[in-house]
Amino acid sequence: MSYKRSRAAYEADVTSQQSPYVFFGTPLPPLDPDVRDDGSYVPIWKQEVRDERGRKRLHGAFTGGFSAGYFNTVGSKEGWTPSTFVSSRTNRRKNDVKPAQQRPEDFMDEEDLADAEEDRRIQTKAAFAGLGSTENDASRATGLMGLFRATGETMGEKLLKKMGWKEGQGIGPKVRRKARLELRSDANGPGETYLFAPENVPMITFVRKTDHKGLGYGGQARLAPIGSSTKNNGAGHSDDEDAENMGDFGKPRFTLPTDRKKKKDNKPRGGIGIGVLNDTGSDDEDPYEIGPKISYNRVIGGDKKKKTTTTINPAVKAKPTFMPSKKSSLGKIALGVRKCHDGRLPLDGFVFGKEPDALTSAINSEGKYPPPQVPPGWVSSKKSKSPTGGSSGFVSTADLAKGSMLDPKSRAAILGEKQLPGKSVFDFLSAAARERLVAATGRADLPQAKGEVPAEYALSEEERMNELLSRVPKLDKETAVAAISRGVSTGAPYADDEKKRSRYIAFLEYQAGFKPTPGPQPSKMNSEDWLRELTEFYNCARIFKPMTGFMASRFTTSSTTKPGSGAEAGQKDVLSKPPLKPQDPAEEAAKLGMFGPMTRSVTDFYPTRLLCKRFNVRPPEHVQPDEDHPTKPAHGSSSRFDVYPDQPAFRPEILTMSGGTGDARETSSGEGSGKSTPAPVMVIDPNRNEALEGKRAGEDVFKAIFGDSDEDDD
Amino acid sequence: MTEFPTRPVAQLVGSNGPIHALTYSSTPSTYILTGSSDRSIRLYNPSSTTQSPTGPPTGRLIQTYTGAHSYEVLSLSVSSQNDRFASSGGDRTVFLWDVSTATTLRRFGSHSTAHSHTGGRVNAVLFSGHDDSLLLSGGHDTTVRIWDTKSSSAKPVQVLSDAKDAITCLATPQNGEPEIISGSVDGKVRSYDVRMGRCVTDVLGAPVTSLSLSKDGKTLLVGGLDNKIRLFDRRNGTSLKTYEHPGWRNTELRVQSCLGAKERYVVAGDELTTSEVGIGNNQEEGKIWAWDLLTGKLVATVPVPWGGDANNKKVTIGRDGKEKARKNVVSCIAWKEGGFGNQFCVGGTSGVVNVYGEL
Repeated sequence: MSYKRSRAAYEADVTSQQSPYVFFGTPLPPLDPDVRDDGSYVPIWKQEVRDERGRKRLHGAFTGGFSAGYFNTVGSKEGWTPSTFVSSRTNRRKNDVKPAQQRPEDFMDEEDLADAEEDRRIQTKAAFAGLGSTENDASRATGLMGLFRATGETMGEKLLKKMGWKEGQGIGPKVRRKARLELRSDANGPGETYLFAPENVPMITFVRKTDHKGLGYGGQARLAPIGSSTKNNGAGHSDDEDAENMGDFGKPRFTLPTDRKKKKDNKPRGGIGIGVLNDTGSDDEDPYEIGPKISYNRVIGGDKKKKTTTTINPAVKAKPTFMPSKKSSLGKIALGVRKCHDGRLPLDGFVFGKEPDALTSAINSEGKYPPPQVPPGWVSSKKSKSPTGGSSGFVSTADLAKGSMLDPKSRAAILGEKQLPGKSVFDFLSAAARERLVAATGRADLPQAKGEVPAEYALSEEERMNELLSRVPKLDKETAVAAISRGVSTGAPYADDEKKRSRYIAFLEYQAGFKPTPGPQPSKMNSEDWLRELTEFYNCARIFKPMTGFMASRFTTSSTTKPGSGAEAGQKDVLSKPPLKPQDPAEEAAKLGMFGPMTRSVTDFYPTRLLCKRFNVRPPEHVQPDEDHPTKPAHGSSSRFDVYPDQPAFRPEILTMSGGTGDARETSSGEGSGKSTPAPVMVIDPNRNEALEGKRAGEDVFKAIFGDSDEDDD
Repeated sequence: MTEFPTRPVAQLVGSNGPIHALTYSSTPSTYILTGSSDRSIRLYNPSSTTQSPTGPPTGRLIQTYTGAHSYEVLSLSVSSQNDRFASSGGDRTVFLWDVSTATTLRRFGSHSTAHSHTGGRVNAVLFSGHDDSLLLSGGHDTTVRIWDTKSSSAKPVQVLSDAKDAITCLATPQNGEPEIISGSVDGKVRSYDVRMGRCVTDVLGAPVTSLSLSKDGKTLLVGGLDNKIRLFDRRNGTSLKTYEHPGWRNTELRVQSCLGAKERYVVAGDELTTSEVGIGNNQEEGKIWAWDLLTGKLVATVPVPWGGDANNKKVTIGRDGKEKARKNVVSCIAWKEGGFGNQFCVGGTSGVVNVYGEL
């Protein structure tokens, strides 16, 4: 009993069987259990577009749709807030680590990335790409010999560069010459000369003659491709072609102007169909270059424009051009004189040595033709004029001095100088100087400094005193006098040291001009200490003078320079010192030991009432009584309207305090304090308040207030 | 006391660290109070001694007051009735103690930090005022605070904040004059006259570390960090005498000085920073220096033994981590009965108080 299954039943069966069309093997499981992949028709409205991650998004433009931003908006999940924006208003360039390097990938979406990934192709690197090719044969041809050549900078080059040499320059002292600019017109003018590095000297190369051709005969050029003709030529190398020449290691190279000529010939000639005058457009090329080397003057009236042969950069090898010197060089050339390898002509009277012929040198080296031997017992007939100088040669003074056996003393004896007393330097050094020496050398075992003064330099006692006193700062006469008078009247400085005080007085008297000297130097002190003390006295006297003088010292006069010592003053002005920080005079006085009025200052102190109470004393006068004044009358029924009996005492203060307005000031200043003292003392009966218990106002007053209004209403 | 005593008659041991404060009790000055860096205060009776096998006899330790200070005790002051004493220390607090019960009666500045010493140590504490009703304290916060011992107010009666640097010492006249004298590191001695409402500032120049008033209150002995002790006339601020010696140096540490032997001598400790040879370079042995008050001449230098038993370590760990010998810096000194007794005691880094004079 078979019946046709309904569609639904069939489909249910299909889905249960996974795939109805699999007859052999095991069917693959469905990709998505919810979606049937049996290829059955799904209407468009039922179709869903999902991206590779299963998200329900429209896909990209090139794959059928478009997709942009956050669900096809330009925003993000948080709205349109660029998440990377950070305000830099407060922290400008402070802690930005490094602006993130933005790559193109940052602006690419997945699709673009996928495209980019697709475009990438795997390639072999260039270095490996040519395996087996013949492209680099030329460079590889050097082969084994390349191993022995230093590549890059040689050590010599490095050293030279350290010494300031640059590539292309010659070696040697700088040459003063005119600048060779490209324009020839400049060269003719009265050019200034500059120091230039010497020109590079071409390397001497020798050609080993290996063929059997005649000397100097290069032979016919072989038929060869134009490009490679130089290679085969063998002799036509310039230094530029070093790389190609690496192969002939050790092969002597020989460069001569004659050889160089050949290079010129290597210019590519025009091919078939190209006329002589077929200009390639460049002005430099001379179409008449071929043919006899005759330079035609094709310009009427004016020099022929020469080809620029000199270059500013000497690295570019100057082409060998013949620059005939006016005088004798022509003749020399005719004689076959060559230039030295530094490009100069040989010195007058010198000729070049012959080039050692490869063949003859080879023969000589083998000792076939030795030079003639000097006969035994031969003595030159020439004799040097000085018999000793010739043999010992030149001896420098320093060497001669070394050879001398004399010491300073013996030399002094020879010269007839008087012997110094047997003393060392330290005998004349002061102790302080020795200390410095010890500190500098770090050696404590130096001899004792005695501080002696040679007899002829020794000062007399009086001179020394004068010298010392000249170093004491000079005090004004009035200041000194004032300081003396002050010292007599009130507590003088150095009250605790009688001797010092007397010295101080003596110093003041000396400064005031009463005495010629400030007394003898105390025996206990050395001159340094005494000087220090006198300076201290000076400072002391400046501080310790009457107040007017002290005030006057606050104002400094403009500095005056002595006319006599103008230069010295100028010297001092140059070394202007910053003005010393003004010190508290009390501190200064304390430092000088002048305790007393100078170091004492009195200020007001406002003890609180409780403090006074605890000390069991009355508060001081100037301490303002506060609200609960102790002298407040102690009556119980005091009202606000009470007038304190002591208020008149405050009146002047109230007046001055309200002195802001003009008339108030007038009352206070015009009438003065004399007015305030006889101020009317109000006698107040505390038990009676005038304001409250005054006379009852008149009847009409009440009437005016209360009565009238009633009438108005009516 | 005709001769200046040279040998200690008693030693007071028990402290586990340097002694920072020493004071005799008020008249009759029978007892000695010591404030130590081990945070405790000890009360001794130097007269009742027990013989020690090694050194001088040791005085009797009567009471140890602990538990209040959490830092070293820096200053002590005993009330005139001997019933209370005050102490201050490194923990910015001032305590008022009851002597007999060994408990603290008050703690000043504790209720509110706004009223207490704001910074660091309280260097000096002193009873003052009528009937010891006031307690002065001065410390690193450059203020002198005046506390009322009678009321329970947490606020100080007054704060004297004229000083520009830490207050190191305080003095008040013994004759009851209403004055407060403070010495400060800014090199100034300020005398506050409460009655006149005046503050007299005397410049010393060097930081002031020690103040000692004479009994009549007319002269003031000021020690500063300039190797000099000066006797000042308080009336006009002049220096009456300067006490110094090349061997005595005081530039770094607080070394107390005082008037002693009925104001015949000026006595001071030694900070032992001198390296002079011949004066005595024995770092274990501190010294007391005594000058004649009138002539200013050095009268005596008295050695102070390290004291204590073997447990009293003479080494300390230096900054480089190595052990080094401790110097016996004699930093505090007290004379019996305010300079008029026949006894004085010194203390310092050894932690042992040496008593000199008669027992």
